[in-house]
Amino acid sequence: METTIVLAALKLVGYGLGAIGPGIGIGIACYGACVGTARQPELAGRLFTNFILGAALAEALALLGFVLVFII
Amino acid sequence: MDPLTLTNPIEMLNELVPELQASFDSAFVIEFGNSGFGITQYMLYAALVWVIVLAVVMVAGRKLTLVPNSKFVNMVEYGYQMVRNSIGEGTIGHGYKKHVPLLATLFFFILISNFIGLIPGSKAATGSIQITWALSIVSFVYFNYWGVKAHGGWGYIKSIAPSGLPAPMVPIIWVFEFVSLVIRVLTLAVRLYGNMFAGHMALGVFALFASTFLLAAINGAGAIGGLSIVWLAFEVFMYALETLVAFLQAYVFTILTAVYINLATSSH
Repeated sequence: METTIVLAALKLVGYGLGAIGPGIGIGIACYGACVGTARQPELAGRLFTNFILGAALAEALALLGFVLVFII
Repeated sequence: MDPLTLTNPIEMLNELVPELQASFDSAFVIEFGNSGFGITQYMLYAALVWVIVLAVVMVAGRKLTLVPNSKFVNMVEYGYQMVRNSIGEGTIGHGYKKHVPLLATLFFFILISNFIGLIPGSKAATGSIQITWALSIVSFVYFNYWGVKAHGGWGYIKSIAPSGLPAPMVPIIWVFEFVSLVIRVLTLAVRLYGNMFAGHMALGVFALFASTFLLAAINGAGAIGGLSIVWLAFEVFMYALETLVAFLQAYVFTILTAVYINLATSSH
């Protein structure tokens, strides 16, 4: 029984660790988009699209972790 | 069963608070015999959203004038123009007009579905993985279809890897790009489902805590019942956040579909 508790807890810890990378990645992407928009407001639309695309790619890793918590 | 022997966190919550989990279950409202097929509550909510979207668009379309003179028509036109200009033209660029109907349909369906989920007692149709799978498969098939149409079958397969790479690198990059292309169908579905499901689960858990502390105070626990107000404040904050997320997820789903269409159809 203790093994199953540890396994359940380790899944959540693993997902937490897996969310660090995408969190940092999306933070950097948002920083870049904000700085870019502040310097060149006329490019805001294209920067925002690229930001969403980059954030989506980074977020894919966190989402994979979210799915794996449920299915493993 | 002892809740701690369960390994799945959702099952643990299910054992501890059966009512909360039961309200998220995709249980049959009407079942056709014992066939395992039937109509679930999420299907009913999806049908309701479909009816609302259709009614809104038909009523607004009937009153269409050059200068919109009613607030309702103005609102619908504003939403449609946002999809057309900001998402369609801003992301796809040249030749965006033929993709606007799909983008607008996706946007309004997801937006209205998410907002219905915010009404206490009702469910968001997008809070079930089956419906978000269906939406993401529609989007996936659509952008691959237009990609094949723009480049031809073999041309589309080649265009997955960006051009201008040194020859030995092409197969490696192609495999990476191909995996990231196939995984889009998963990420689109799970992003929407995860956001809506987790948000509503958090709302439910906070409401549960608020009522638990309130009950403790009524039963004579004293000052600790004051924590109920703190959880209620969290609940209100979370509700405001969910309202933002409801709009944002509809926007993100639509803009990602537009980005994928752009990536598939544009020549690298």
